[in-house]
Amino acid sequence: MKDFETLLAESAEAHGHLCPGQVIGVRMAMLGCRLIGLNDPRSPSQIKKLLVYVEMDRCAADAVAHVTGVKLGRRSLKFMDYGIMAASFVHLENGRAFRILSTEESRDLAAVYAPEVVGKSAQQLEAYRRMPDEVLFRVQEVVVPVREWDLPGPTRRKVACVRCGQVVRDGKEVDGPQGPLCIPCAKGGYFRPLRELSVGAALQEAAGGL
Amino acid sequence: MKIKVIPVHEAVGTELAHDITEIRPGEFKGAAFRRGHQVCDQDICHLQKLGKNHLYVLELDEDDIHEDEAAAVLATALAGENVVWDEGPREGKIKLRAAVDGLFSVNVPALAAFNMVEEVMCATLHTGTLVQKGDLVAATRAIPLVMKRAPVERAAAIARAHGGILSVRALRRAKAGVIITGNEVYHGLIQDRFAPILAQKLEALGSAIHVLRYAPDNADAIRDAVDEALRQGADLLLVTGGMSVDPDDVTRAGIAAAGAQAIHYGSAVLPGAMILTARIGAVPVLGVPACALHHKVTVLDLILPRILAGDEIGKTQLALMGHGGLCRDCPQCAYPHCPFGKGC
Repeated sequence: MKDFETLLAESAEAHGHLCPGQVIGVRMAMLGCRLIGLNDPRSPSQIKKLLVYVEMDRCAADAVAHVTGVKLGRRSLKFMDYGIMAASFVHLENGRAFRILSTEESRDLAAVYAPEVVGKSAQQLEAYRRMPDEVLFRVQEVVVPVREWDLPGPTRRKVACVRCGQVVRDGKEVDGPQGPLCIPCAKGGYFRPLRELSVGAALQEAAGGL
Repeated sequence: MKIKVIPVHEAVGTELAHDITEIRPGEFKGAAFRRGHQVCDQDICHLQKLGKNHLYVLELDEDDIHEDEAAAVLATALAGENVVWDEGPREGKIKLRAAVDGLFSVNVPALAAFNMVEEVMCATLHTGTLVQKGDLVAATRAIPLVMKRAPVERAAAIARAHGGILSVRALRRAKAGVIITGNEVYHGLIQDRFAPILAQKLEALGSAIHVLRYAPDNADAIRDAVDEALRQGADLLLVTGGMSVDPDDVTRAGIAAAGAQAIHYGSAVLPGAMILTARIGAVPVLGVPACALHHKVTVLDLILPRILAGDEIGKTQLALMGHGGLCRDCPQCAYPHCPFGKGC
């Protein structure tokens, strides 16, 4: 694995800016990989051994993904929408897993670890570089039951929703009285449908400023 | 953990779960009974006099830790270089002491992180306090009688991650080169009062003046005096006077001409705002302003022990001294038993 400063610089560039969350994310990922024994997670020999669950959609999540090389589209990155500054690192071959939480007290301690730095963000950024892992994080050894459907690799099953006909992949369907349903049909989605229209019509309306 | 409470008169034969403190105002405060003491008939009356009508009987779970064991875990982790602790906790508390004479240092951020862990605590003297062997420098304890092992281990891990939080560093015995600058003294118009003051301050810290030179207000002459002191083996340089803003104040230029590096002029301390810190090779250099002649305690007294303990003193350290860096100039100076210099 590259050194911390190199990873931080790369991660900040990929993310778009350098911020305290980048420092936390990079250090969290480095610690997570060390705990499960992967020293070069982006290498071809290790990239398929790692699964990461991030519990926040904040700057740190991008840093974790950058350092580990996990990707949503590769199914090695899982987003759990908990709003918690934490991530779990799972070794797929031996099942060892650690959940690492960013401590709340580290925010309060930033002023004592970097008293000479002015400005909250700059002070946190510097303080998070200085704090040892023991202060910055809490670690839990955990068991992560990974369903076969959630593993990386080719699509394992496809079924059609009996209500809307949409194909649902990888066991994400819900059993309904008449057969499988997609989640939007079964539980409601994150959206509310208004109408269906052709791509051409949609583009035309968009160009018209609608 | 299972806690059973039993009436004291039924406690004969049981072992005490914790030390029981006795306070006799103005006379005694301490453990009347130690943890593990087996209660006998004669104890009942004494316990009742201490207000103990009931006693705990504890059954610890595997992940529980008793306050005495917790204190030992915490003390072990807190103690860095030259800090030792009293064997055997007293009333759940362990005292940590200096193992040598020297400068007591606290990793203040680490102490804060340690104390942020629930139910553990450590209280210390101020960092930068001069201590003697055997002096009490800190005390630690787990706050409840019994607590979970995890937070104790976490606090200990925080301390260990910093290499211990408390340390005492012996002061090196410096051979000081002292250069007294100023035309008036150099030409004998007034008597030098600086050298005796510096000699006293150095001797109080175990060091001594090795070379004493006088120089006029001339940068080249000051440079030559510094060179001479270094040639004679000085491993600490104190250059006095000429640190102000007058045209005749050329000491800074003289120090720079002698090859000083990492020169920083100015501190956030009063008295002592016009001090200069620098290095020539590995030799620390201090430009001491004239305030050290008139004030019993100045910034010099705050930084000299630290330099002799091996600290690098520069811009950041001098800036951080601002908090608590104002001497109240009391009619009766009580330093070091006062707030001056204690905020950094």
